[in-house]
Amino acid sequence: MGHNRSLPEHLQAVGITKRYGGVYALKGASFSLRAGEVHALVGENGAGKSTLARILAGSTRADSGAISIHGAPVEIATPLDAQRLGIGIIYQELDLFPDLTAGENIVIGNLHFPEGRLVSFRRMEEFCRPFLRQVGLACGIRQTVATLSIGQMQLLAIARALSMDARILLMDEPTSSLFDDAAERLFGLIAALKQRGVSIVYVSHKMDEIFRICDRATVLRDGETIGTVEMAGTSVNELIRMMVGRELRMTARAARRVAGELVLAVEKLATAKLRDVSFELRRGEVLGIAGLVGSGRSELGAALFGLDRITSGTVRVQGELRAPRSPRDAMASGIGLLPEDRRLEGLMMRMSVLENATLAVLPRLSGLGFIDRRREHASLAPVARQLALNCASPAAPVRSCEEISWQAEAPAPPSVNPAMSAIFSQPVSQLSGGNQQKVLLARWLLLNPTVLFLDDPTRGIDIGAKQDIYRLIDELAAAGKAIILVSSELPELLRCCDRILVLNEGRVTAHFDAAEATQEKIMSAATNAGAGA
Amino acid sequence: MPAVRASAGLLRRAQSLAALLGILLLAIAISPTASDGSRIFLEAGNLTDILRQVSLIGIISLAMTLVILTGGIDLSVGSILALSTALAAMFLTRGYTTHIAVAILAAVAAAALAGALNGVVIARTGIQPFIVTLASMIGVRGLAKWLTNNQNIDIGFGKDLAAGFAAIFREKAIVIGAYAGAAALFWVVLARTVFGRHVRAVGDNEKAAEYAGLPIRATKIWVYTLSGLFTGFAGVLYAAENHQGNPNAGVAYELDAIAAVVIGGTRLSGGKGSISGTIVGTLIMGVLTNMLRLNNVDSNVEMMIKAAIIVLAVAVQRERNGN
Repeated sequence: MGHNRSLPEHLQAVGITKRYGGVYALKGASFSLRAGEVHALVGENGAGKSTLARILAGSTRADSGAISIHGAPVEIATPLDAQRLGIGIIYQELDLFPDLTAGENIVIGNLHFPEGRLVSFRRMEEFCRPFLRQVGLACGIRQTVATLSIGQMQLLAIARALSMDARILLMDEPTSSLFDDAAERLFGLIAALKQRGVSIVYVSHKMDEIFRICDRATVLRDGETIGTVEMAGTSVNELIRMMVGRELRMTARAARRVAGELVLAVEKLATAKLRDVSFELRRGEVLGIAGLVGSGRSELGAALFGLDRITSGTVRVQGELRAPRSPRDAMASGIGLLPEDRRLEGLMMRMSVLENATLAVLPRLSGLGFIDRRREHASLAPVARQLALNCASPAAPVRSCEEISWQAEAPAPPSVNPAMSAIFSQPVSQLSGGNQQKVLLARWLLLNPTVLFLDDPTRGIDIGAKQDIYRLIDELAAAGKAIILVSSELPELLRCCDRILVLNEGRVTAHFDAAEATQEKIMSAATNAGAGA
Repeated sequence: MPAVRASAGLLRRAQSLAALLGILLLAIAISPTASDGSRIFLEAGNLTDILRQVSLIGIISLAMTLVILTGGIDLSVGSILALSTALAAMFLTRGYTTHIAVAILAAVAAAALAGALNGVVIARTGIQPFIVTLASMIGVRGLAKWLTNNQNIDIGFGKDLAAGFAAIFREKAIVIGAYAGAAALFWVVLARTVFGRHVRAVGDNEKAAEYAGLPIRATKIWVYTLSGLFTGFAGVLYAAENHQGNPNAGVAYELDAIAAVVIGGTRLSGGKGSISGTIVGTLIMGVLTNMLRLNNVDSNVEMMIKAAIIVLAVAVQRERNGN
């Protein structure tokens, strides 16, 4: 890990302020980047990392503040300005045109590709090939983007930024949808870019990655810059303390759980994407599912939840043969699924917290089709308390509430207090990612299924909310739920699960007791078909 | 914080009301005066005329609000209205029945059936609502013309069954009462019932609605059925008011209804909107029309002014909502 102390400040941003309505996303934040360094931008969700990245990339305008490059003040009002200044950005939700070809995506809006009146695929190919080779993307120039995998799309986005002659590359949570092998390739590429003097701003939640590839880290909290540290001179706990403003220990793995009766028996299950998947799950157990994206881990949920057609094999829930043909069917058999993408598949963004949470159980809270609002409120109140949802207001994050929030054993007061009532009526679109996930979890806690399939529940949420979700999983298991947990993060699986099933190309390639599993063992089973346990 | 948010919500809701108020004040200000110096616009007769004139589009736009909230659209309402007027008049004048109620029931049932057909095709095939209802807009119009040989069926003024029907259902009180009743019904359905919640959820995020196990198909079939049913009822009122069953009635009504809904702040892409907004939107258009006609503004100019109002109303709402 090279330290480029001698290099001058490449980019400097001072006093950056951005308000949305009455809420500050950034409050006089500052940031400086040296040439050829990998610089992490860290902070809890809502801390302002993405806003800062977008301001530097010209897709959001700051209300005030100054940005300079090599000491000269610059104005970045549009993405085109950023491109002229050599700043490129890889958004978390890649901003590619899915129906255009790889080549078209690279040259469109590209100041370095002189466009003729007619499209010349030959010229486009000449222009694109070196950049695709540089990022190691083996796809045709004329291949449609929609046919690429997420990892390939990401490489394409990087190739595009490079073709725009970016000297500063902003990456907003680039590995949030990559499994370890694709992430590994990305890290190699980042190292190579760094060698060539490209500066990289790396926005991420993942501490292991940050410590591995970054030279320095700048911590944001509530829109303010808390400080910048050299990675060599700091620790995970130190960084987390700066992020959350308090000590937060990574909670240890729960003690070995005592499994109860058998509730889910899957035998030789097959769908278009799965082959011969068999496993059993008991009450009080947490079964982890590991695998690369596309390995069938989400597809297992789709099969159990009635989204994909089961072509052969059996699913028994509490001894009864079930073949759910729709989510509704699956829910009736006691299976719940927390989807992978909470914005696309989970939440109604224009509806309130309360409306989102109670959506699946409305018939229970109504008479003759009329919703009983008092019962609706009263039903969510204890669940919201259990989930620590009362930290919801983004304008005033009340951090101290964490201590009181997990006293779930305390009997719930009969009435709903006004503060909670205000949170209930808030649109979910105004919540942080972690709180949005909690609202979605609340929906399932209210429905109370026997088997709960959690598809990457901590994806893209901050450390505090992650800990809340880990503890919730522990609590649910203790309360006798059977849980299937999919995760892209192996430490998370090792932390939460009793057993871990590894999928590869739709087959089970290994089945570990969590106590014996290691990241290495899981990775090798996830990447080499046939390497069973 | 909650107080701020609540008052912001009130402001937004009040804002379309403010627009209505503004147009009312303008209408009063520029109203021509009668011989005794009083303003014609403010006469009870004129005000109730406005309500009566907006009632038919008003009823149609209530159901249209639910359709649009699910992310759909119903272009067939004008044609369904024509079918309903034709059937009502046929039943009343051709001796098919001796009861007014049977004629009304037949017209409304046929209209509801046409709506249900829209709903079933949309829910089962997944073809876009725009296309499905465009097709039924053409097909149902054809049906109405075929049934009537493309002739108006006149409802007389005598003492027969048809005339008796017209005498009752062209009463201002009945027409306005029907609109008020329908408005109250739809408000309750959207704000208080499970079905109303499902309507908004499906329009907000259909995929998520599927994952939450909501009855998406049933919800869609119901909103189009309601749209057909209430349009059919509006058709009955139309037949009474105009003393005829007219297979060419209701042309462009779908556009007026959609305009009222969007002026009322409902998003055309679904998920967000309200019945109260639609009512205000309907009244804005009604008062505007009345004001312009009282002042003898050319009807072609009237259309141009309405066009501007539609864009303006939606632009202001977009600004306020920050989307």
